[in-house]
Amino acid sequence: MTEDSRLIMGPKEGVNYPMQVIYCGNCSMPIEYCEYYPEYDKCKQWLEKNLPSEFEKVKIGDESSEATGEEEKKRQKRGGKGMIKTKKKEDGPKQVCISRAPRGKKKSVTVVTGMSSFNIDLKVAAKFFGTKFACGSSVTGDDEIVIQGDVKDDLFDIIPEKWPEIDEDLIEDLGDQKR
Amino acid sequence: MFKKFDEKEGVSGILQLKSSVQKGIRSKLLEQYPHLEGYIDAILPKKDNLRIVKCHDHIEIIVNTGGDLLFFRQREGLWMPTLRLFHKYPFFLPMQQVDKGAIRFVLSGANIMCPGLTSPGAKMTDVPKGTVVAIMAEGKQHALSIGITTLSTDDIAKVNKGVGVENCHYLNDGLWHMKPVK
Repeated sequence: MTEDSRLIMGPKEGVNYPMQVIYCGNCSMPIEYCEYYPEYDKCKQWLEKNLPSEFEKVKIGDESSEATGEEEKKRQKRGGKGMIKTKKKEDGPKQVCISRAPRGKKKSVTVVTGMSSFNIDLKVAAKFFGTKFACGSSVTGDDEIVIQGDVKDDLFDIIPEKWPEIDEDLIEDLGDQKR
Repeated sequence: MFKKFDEKEGVSGILQLKSSVQKGIRSKLLEQYPHLEGYIDAILPKKDNLRIVKCHDHIEIIVNTGGDLLFFRQREGLWMPTLRLFHKYPFFLPMQQVDKGAIRFVLSGANIMCPGLTSPGAKMTDVPKGTVVAIMAEGKQHALSIGITTLSTDDIAKVNKGVGVENCHYLNDGLWHMKPVK
């Protein structure tokens, strides 16, 4: 593909659309743009781990660009900062808290919080709990699922089974809540 | 447009589209992007139920049944493809290439200035003012931004100062990070 024909519109022959583009798992951009991300080192680590073949290519590219580094110095640099700010990821304590709240005199509900810190869709999770325990289950707050009935003990087994990324140790038992 | 966009606060509602409206959008897209012909069925299958996500600032986003974001527009403006879609079908927009020095500015959301389009590393394809274009970069394969030209390419070359292309959607902005809508 020569540089000139690159910008011409229209589907190219011999290419099957839709095209697959590899995105970096760290910065989510196509991997060729990783070098413009402030956390380039982390991108590299991710690449090394997940796509070793692509990593080799990037490495070669890096070395050759270092060789031409002097040339780049001569070229006038543009002013301004132009740095991309990394979005601060909210790395709060990643854990799921389970507690029991009384409901009426002899019934109780189970409150599950902290699921969204694992990037789990709360709506889907609530539906899953509802079908699993054959009971009502709903998303009640920003990060809260209420399951009707006391199913706390079962949750410790079922959550790690359904979402392997949640270890059983990450599930905290808050005991009984007062209303 | 999406620099400070947030999925949680930005979205005000999701609407199912009537099939007549869907047809209208299809024909409009084909009219706007003639190169899509033959691929429109892959992007917007006829039987698919499209939805529209309404966001603040009069932004609307077309979403298919799978929840993938396809096209967006502001007010009654032109429909623009999202970068994820454009990466899959990178041929239906006129492309402008910026030089290496401009990449980091574009990636932080800056509009594309004329000098970045006229320097030796850059290339332009001729388009009139007000066209939706994809911004490519020197030495890179994929598009990094979608924008609307504020000057015709002739004027960009002539004036060579100020904003040439308005940056509407770029890698790592709010729309790029938006998750598929359920």
